Amino acid sequence: MPQTLRVIYSAFRMAMLHWIADPQWVIPNVIAPFVFTFVALTLFKEASGPFGLYAVLGGGMMGMWGNTLYSSGFAIEFEKWQGTLEEVVATPSNLLHVIAGRSVSNALFGLTNMVAILLIASLVFKVPLGVANPILFALSIVLTLLSVSALGLIFASAFVLSRYAQVFTNGLEFPIYVISGSMFPIALLPFWIHPASYLLGPTWGIEAIRIAAAQESVSVTFCLNVGVMLLITLAYVMIAAFLFKKVETKSRRDGTLVQA
Amino acid sequence: MLELSSQNVQASSDKAIVVEHLCKVFNVTKGVLRRTKTQVVAVKDVSFEIDYGELFGLVGPNGAGKTTTIKMLTTMLIPTSGTATVLGYDIQKDVKKIRERIGIVLGGERGLYTRVNAIDNLRYFADLYGVPVNTQEKRVKELLQFMGLWDRAQDRVETYSKGMKQRLHLARGLINDPQIVFMDEPTIGLDPEIAKETRNMIKELAEKGKTILLTTHYMFEADELCKRVAIIRNGEIVALDTPSGLKKYVKDTSVVEIEGFGITEKEVAKFKEVPEVLSISADLSENKQVLKIQTPKGSEIISDAQDILKNSRIYDLKVKEPTLEDAYLRLVEGSVK
Repeated sequence: MPQTLRVIYSAFRMAMLHWIADPQWVIPNVIAPFVFTFVALTLFKEASGPFGLYAVLGGGMMGMWGNTLYSSGFAIEFEKWQGTLEEVVATPSNLLHVIAGRSVSNALFGLTNMVAILLIASLVFKVPLGVANPILFALSIVLTLLSVSALGLIFASAFVLSRYAQVFTNGLEFPIYVISGSMFPIALLPFWIHPASYLLGPTWGIEAIRIAAAQESVSVTFCLNVGVMLLITLAYVMIAAFLFKKVETKSRRDGTLVQA
Repeated sequence: MLELSSQNVQASSDKAIVVEHLCKVFNVTKGVLRRTKTQVVAVKDVSFEIDYGELFGLVGPNGAGKTTTIKMLTTMLIPTSGTATVLGYDIQKDVKKIRERIGIVLGGERGLYTRVNAIDNLRYFADLYGVPVNTQEKRVKELLQFMGLWDRAQDRVETYSKGMKQRLHLARGLINDPQIVFMDEPTIGLDPEIAKETRNMIKELAEKGKTILLTTHYMFEADELCKRVAIIRNGEIVALDTPSGLKKYVKDTSVVEIEGFGITEKEVAKFKEVPEVLSISADLSENKQVLKIQTPKGSEIISDAQDILKNSRIYDLKVKEPTLEDAYLRLVEGSVK
């Protein structure tokens, strides 16, 4: 296995061992999105149109994004709390690969979250979730998860620099739900927000998920949405790599690496 | 039996570490609305060399610049000016090459993944250091056996005692079979028995040929372990010699140790006014106070002492040969010319 993949796998494995050792993640990851889905389904019970799907995707997105945003940022904070950040940075491995491994594990938990919400909506609330193309539906969910993880990776770099990064990411949680169109269609938002929406990979991912739920065949629009999302995700990874390099150099110059 | 690599593997230098005029200045910002920037000089113009296989000590009081120096040499901090090479590699240009070849052991209970076991801790760092997968299992087992942790290897680290955690720190520092091990106050906060155990481990590593740079503020530790010791004060090296060489700085003096009750800062100040008192350290605890006075007069100072302490009670008074700690105190207080 190439060294980069080994480091990503090892960080993923270490994160999984901690998830297992500390199962309290269940509370924010399951209960909050469940409550959101319940509220949304109750509010739109009588409405016409695909509100059920919006409610479920909104809840799923909430779990996914909340999980990734907190956990990717938390990956650095966690190392600081344990006092291991210095030891990890002192190894010849790239910190970005270590955090990427943790982000992938967070994404996996986000995926279980989405599946749980789909099951809850379908079995408990009897929401008709007829998915026209289950394979494309699953594929677009996985790709959206990766896009969300890559976005989380960008925010993770801020945690190396500042002890106040948590405040910054707290403020970003809800705007992303809204402007990515996971709660309601982007068309309902003011036009000046649209550019911000289209710069978010998850916006295109959510749209791809909806198309896969509604259409059986592979359409040009589906491919366009997935393609743009992948390009944006690639850009996120490149930005994250650039930021991590800058942030590491800055923290080595200023001595801010281990400030808790 | 723990296998450690030969120390003859060298880059382009005949010295393990070469430090030349190293400086580190931190910019500190204060205030919210009116932000003011100040500069803190942590290390200024530090130079020294360490031979292959040498156990070198860097000692000094808190805030003297020991940890900053170690962090620059381990590539964790970028120096403001000056140069240094580790195994012949430049600390600014060859970061990855240096990181692959060194080990770091920090003191204290933190720095370990406490919710997982010792094997998982070591395997994780083995991966990060690129230790070949086919040798990892053997290496981890050998290290845990060497550190006497094999029987508890499957237990979560949070159930370990302080001493066991420190031994695991040492094991982690050796996971990549480093050519140089940097140890930053490895015995800090340990009880005497465990600290002794840790020192024995360090001695054993030195005997196996590892180059070790150790920081400590326990002088007896530096005396017991190190071949050479550099004393650092306010970011500058004030003396560098063998422990016996450093003791020569105070060879013409004696140490008068006074144990008593009722001794205050006022009496300590009076001692400082006596011309023959070169340095004085005072432990003014509530129940008992201890003064260590360095003087060339030896027992002749006793009459001065009795006069100054006429209102205090003296329990014990001894005249002793100076130790490395006395040399250190005198050097740190700046009275050695």
